[in-house]
Amino acid sequence: MASLFWSALQAVIDGLLTGSLYSLIGMGMALIFGVMRIVNFAHGAFMMLSMYVTYLLFDRLGVTPYLGFLAAAAVLFVIGFATYHGLLRWVNERSEFMIILITLGIAQMFIGGAQLTFSGDFHKVNTPLSGALVHLGSHITLNGGDVLSFVISVALAIGMFLFVMKSRFGRALRAIAQNRYAASLIGINVQRTQAVAFGLGVAAVGLAGGLFLPAFYLYPEVGSGFNLKSFVMVVLGGMGSIEGAAIAGLVLGVVESLTSLYWGNQWAVVVDFVIFLLVLSLRPAGLFGSQRV
Amino acid sequence: MTQRRAILAAVGFALCLLVPLVVQQDYQLNVLFRIALFSALGMAWNLVGGYAGQLSLGHAAFFGIGAYALPLFHDKLGVPIPLALVLVIVAAVAAAYVIGRVSFRLRGPYFALATIAFAEVLRLSVKNLEVTGGDVGLQVPALFGSISPTRWFYLAAVVLAAAALAATAWIVRSRFGYQLQAVREDEDTARACGIDPARTKLNALIISAAFTALGGALYASQYFFIVPDSVLAIDLSERPAISAMLGGAGTMTGPIVGAILIETALELFKNVFHEAFQLIFGVLLVLVVLFLPEGIVGTLASWWRRKRAS
Amino acid sequence: MTTLLALEHVSKRFGGLRAVNDVSFSVSDGEVLFIVGPNGAGKTTLFNLITGFLPADEGVIRFAGRPLTWTAPHAVAKLGIGRTFQIVKPLRNLTVLENVMLGAFLHTRDVAEAAARAREVIDFLQMSAVIAKPAAGLPLATLKRLEIARALATKPKLILLDEVVAGLPTTEALALAGLLQRLPEWGVSAVAGVEHVMQVVMKIAHRVIVLDRGALIAEGTPAEVVRRPEVIEAYLGVKYKQVTG
Repeated sequence: MASLFWSALQAVIDGLLTGSLYSLIGMGMALIFGVMRIVNFAHGAFMMLSMYVTYLLFDRLGVTPYLGFLAAAAVLFVIGFATYHGLLRWVNERSEFMIILITLGIAQMFIGGAQLTFSGDFHKVNTPLSGALVHLGSHITLNGGDVLSFVISVALAIGMFLFVMKSRFGRALRAIAQNRYAASLIGINVQRTQAVAFGLGVAAVGLAGGLFLPAFYLYPEVGSGFNLKSFVMVVLGGMGSIEGAAIAGLVLGVVESLTSLYWGNQWAVVVDFVIFLLVLSLRPAGLFGSQRV
Repeated sequence: MTQRRAILAAVGFALCLLVPLVVQQDYQLNVLFRIALFSALGMAWNLVGGYAGQLSLGHAAFFGIGAYALPLFHDKLGVPIPLALVLVIVAAVAAAYVIGRVSFRLRGPYFALATIAFAEVLRLSVKNLEVTGGDVGLQVPALFGSISPTRWFYLAAVVLAAAALAATAWIVRSRFGYQLQAVREDEDTARACGIDPARTKLNALIISAAFTALGGALYASQYFFIVPDSVLAIDLSERPAISAMLGGAGTMTGPIVGAILIETALELFKNVFHEAFQLIFGVLLVLVVLFLPEGIVGTLASWWRRKRAS
Repeated sequence: MTTLLALEHVSKRFGGLRAVNDVSFSVSDGEVLFIVGPNGAGKTTLFNLITGFLPADEGVIRFAGRPLTWTAPHAVAKLGIGRTFQIVKPLRNLTVLENVMLGAFLHTRDVAEAAARAREVIDFLQMSAVIAKPAAGLPLATLKRLEIARALATKPKLILLDEVVAGLPTTEALALAGLLQRLPEWGVSAVAGVEHVMQVVMKIAHRVIVLDRGALIAEGTPAEVVRRPEVIEAYLGVKYKQVTG
């Protein structure tokens, strides 16, 4: 009996650790999809780019991913800003159909580019922390690297939340989300703010990508799985709610982990989609959302 | 479709049927088979994505259902091939009903996401279940006798494409076709005209699914062996959609043009730049969205209309 | 006169705001009723309630005696209530003819028949010049006529016109009003309109009801209603009432 409890608790804690990284991805998507209403199908591909950048820093310069992720996020901010400014802003006024297609195209470009540059090989990064174990009591064993990622993620998530809610930029962004025309009338540079916001959303996923690197095998298509997951988080957390997406990330992590424990790994991914379809069918406003779907 | 166009189509169809007399090599017939098949799939998608204006990115679900239903009904349940094909359609219709009822209640991007989710659930479930062969996959019965030369598959694909074109033409000229487009343009206006958007979209999806599933069964039989990733992966949702978009969503012949271009390009690049085709695919899609949103045929048609008006 | 449409104590809230507050009125066969009132008075919300685009929180709406609760908009249209939209909603990529045909398709499956009926309606509304043009490029005044044409093509018994003359120069507005008076020729039993342009209301309305902040504050013939102090106050404010009072 006790061992059932401990294995469940282990799964829950593992889930929270993974979930914290999901949260960053979700918060990035909440900014892009929830606030800016851009259906970004390239989210996973951006994450993949971040992982490659972090990998290169590690492989060529010996920079640990636990620092390299910051550089990767910065690079991704630039890429995100450029993507919006160069491509997306021309399509932003048009239908969502078109935005989905263009971001799909952008994703394919990134994946194809990665395939050409890095070939389809799988890469794995091993850091000193990869093998380090942290023991909580006698029953719970955690991977040191995961714990570090968790701590960093939580800090970043809180920082991001405060920035979007409290800063002048964040307020400008939310003004645009509510009424674009009015926002432009009071002097907000709509296009530039949106480009920056998109860049931030992508940077958030960049942060997660770098932190994920030690835990994952890296290959060009690695991001695809995270695409739908990020939408699930935004829908589950409620449109426009950054904190909702963060919590949804943790929820997803835990649910996946428990599903793995009781039904096996292969069903863990399916459970994401099932949750998604359930939420869309039953409570489209999400857990924290107030807007109509 | 005017008289003249109908005659042109009939002639084109006849020519396509005669191709195997000239082209004998299996490899080339295979390429032509894929062009014809993806034309059919593109036209099927076009009913939902082009005319009804609903961006489905989950059509792989129907494709895969067709691909798996054939071996499951024939090999595991002993159903004779013709009946098995009918059951393929039945399975597709049932799936379309379920997926449609859930997804069409959602607006815009949520609909697209839901269709992706359904297709992925199906793929992962098929991957994990024993009855569908799991990761290992299933052997698929040969539709045209034990030898089943490639040319029969090519001809079947041409017939399927012709049927899809005929169905599109019939729909576009009927009340249903107008109602589909009304739903695409403005659902509230459609409602004010007595149209039930959910039911209209569902009907389009059902027809689209039936064609797609037949295509899947044909494809599966041609390749003789299927695994989840070969018939349920997202690129099988994307390719018909992109073909239709490139050629012109909402036009009758657009998907055919798009499929010819894309399948030919894929074939060329497979030999020349193996890894580059995804990159080029992506660039192509971005360019189409930015500069050619109506697709090739659509842009030509608009240009022609503007010339005639002035 | 038989009652065609009846609203009984209908209310609609949006959060804390009572957009429609305990409104009761009816429209009889053969009648032209106009709903007037300051902006934000709840007039379009009322139309959305009648046509099923919004559910009422309280009260019952009956059409030809039959309650419309839970009836979806497309079903309401089939029952014989046609409507225009205040913010025009043309089917942009379709031509004017095709737009109106969609209305005609309510009563026929046949494409040729729908086209014929559509042409008649387009002719009546004097829009034949633009019949083959896509709706997308057309000026607002034409699109407002298109709204009427589409609704008329559905052979409604009751037609709801939402600010169809807004923005038109007065002469054109009155000309359109003249056309509206001929709607009974098309099988329309009753007309309910929302309007701001009082000249049109005075010209063709049999009866007028006045809404202010969601509540019905006056009802009667146009001449009666316009003189009521509460109506003047609603439009112009208390100060003016004291001056003209």
